[in-house]
Amino acid sequence: MSEPRVEGGRGLVARAALVAAAGLGLTAVGAALDLRRALAAYHTAFTFWAGTAVGALILLGAFHATKARWMVLVRRVVEVVATTSLVFVPLFLPVALGARRIFPWLEPDRLPGELRRLAEHRAPYLNLPFFLLRAALYLVAWAVVSHLLWRWSVRQDRERGVALTARQRRLGIGSLPLLAVTITFAAIDWQESLDLHHASTIFGVYYFAGSFLAAISVVILALYALRREPALAGLTADHWHSLGKLLLAFTAFWAYIAFSQYMLIWIANLPAEVPFFIHRTRGAWGVVGVLLVLFHFAVPFFLLLSRDLKRDPRKLAALAAWQLAMHWLDVYYTMMPAAYPSPAPHWTDLTALLGVGAAALAFAAWRLRQGAAVPVGDPYLEDSLRYQPQ
Amino acid sequence: MASYVLGEFADDAAICAAARSLREAGVAALDAHSPVPIHGIDEALALPRSPVPLIALVGVLLGGSGGYLMMWWMNAVDYVIDVGGRPAHAAPAFVPITFETTVLTAAVFIVGGLFALAGFPRLHHPVFEVEAFRTASVDGLWLSAEVEPGRAEAVAGELRRLGARQVSRVDEEEEP
Repeated sequence: MSEPRVEGGRGLVARAALVAAAGLGLTAVGAALDLRRALAAYHTAFTFWAGTAVGALILLGAFHATKARWMVLVRRVVEVVATTSLVFVPLFLPVALGARRIFPWLEPDRLPGELRRLAEHRAPYLNLPFFLLRAALYLVAWAVVSHLLWRWSVRQDRERGVALTARQRRLGIGSLPLLAVTITFAAIDWQESLDLHHASTIFGVYYFAGSFLAAISVVILALYALRREPALAGLTADHWHSLGKLLLAFTAFWAYIAFSQYMLIWIANLPAEVPFFIHRTRGAWGVVGVLLVLFHFAVPFFLLLSRDLKRDPRKLAALAAWQLAMHWLDVYYTMMPAAYPSPAPHWTDLTALLGVGAAALAFAAWRLRQGAAVPVGDPYLEDSLRYQPQ
Repeated sequence: MASYVLGEFADDAAICAAARSLREAGVAALDAHSPVPIHGIDEALALPRSPVPLIALVGVLLGGSGGYLMMWWMNAVDYVIDVGGRPAHAAPAFVPITFETTVLTAAVFIVGGLFALAGFPRLHHPVFEVEAFRTASVDGLWLSAEVEPGRAEAVAGELRRLGARQVSRVDEEEEP
């Protein structure tokens, strides 16, 4: 078997890089005009896309941990999405440099009395040097693990044999605890600390649940874009069906975690916790919350119950795009109300979102061309091509 | 009164091909019996889609609405208790129980519906008269056809031609 490469979309790397430059450039212009607002937009976009990359990395680790064979055909796409973790190392710089204007606990003097006491109480954890050290740890861990998994997989394209599969499985499984801890603390540092009243012990899982759903969505969209590639000719309705089942499962999982977080805070009704949801269930933010319940959970969930929809790549991809957009709204709804008590959409929200996303896309498209389009060296590829669940 | 013609096949492909071929020859009442799932047998037998999902949906609607209404009636109508100023009709607090009753009722409907559709409890079937049919729960893939007695020999011959390892015929006896 020769190495089947990706054939189409030759200009994608350049085009995506152009969009990234334009988006990030315009966001920089926005920063010159309104530094605080542009940084908030950038930080939100960064957290949204970085979570998606880590979600893909955890998906890859979970595939290895379960020794899943059906997904070998689509694994290269997952690896490439995961490997965009590397891009988020330099992309974190604006957040690190602008941290004082993003995180309220870095400027306790600007806070009202009660919040200032909270910020001072949490200073041993929430201080700039330790924050930056932790961020570096998360980002380096994600970059290294995703890069190794991808590199061994690509090496296997040439070297063949089962030894590299075994090595990927060991790292994939072994890294899962590390990924779980880092994404949890990233959620606390990057999202939860924005609102000093946000005290939710389930929040790490919440960020993971949304990010994992977004990662599955991105993988479905990438496969949809690649569906006419000769290398992926073996992609059958059964593969789409299983990806659709994952999308359904994690739509339900996100709702389960979101509800658990809401109900525990609502029912306890403690002054230290409940302001988080008071700000997010009243006024215009409250409308956004209801939209999320309806359109991030209820409608997609009932649509995804349909077997025919899951087996139709076009409809599944449309729903995946929808869930990705809804996850963005969820991240926005979690992060923005802390600094903006009523929604204040800004054009940098869009430029930052496109800029960071396009940078990751350019990197992924470039990576995808550096190996075969499917893991041809993996001995389990044959099983994946024969995949036919009952 | 009907006759059953049974054929045992060695592998998935053979039994699927035989089922397809008999169906095209106009034998309508076909069934497959095997200890393991047979890939492609649903299409080969042209089985309709299972009505179990619809039965489950009925269970979901009944269990969900029943659970919620039960709590609403108990907490907000029949015996109102003020718990720390929370509303008597506290929707978020009702959700976990609603979820549980939904799942429970759906599961009962699925299992019950499956039993009903499979004809349980049915203690005996004429094909059990064939001793060799016991391999259907060990390693044999069996195709059975319910035909009029006059046609049984023709179908048996067809099964042999299609590669059955062994073929048996059972005639249903008249009810006494």
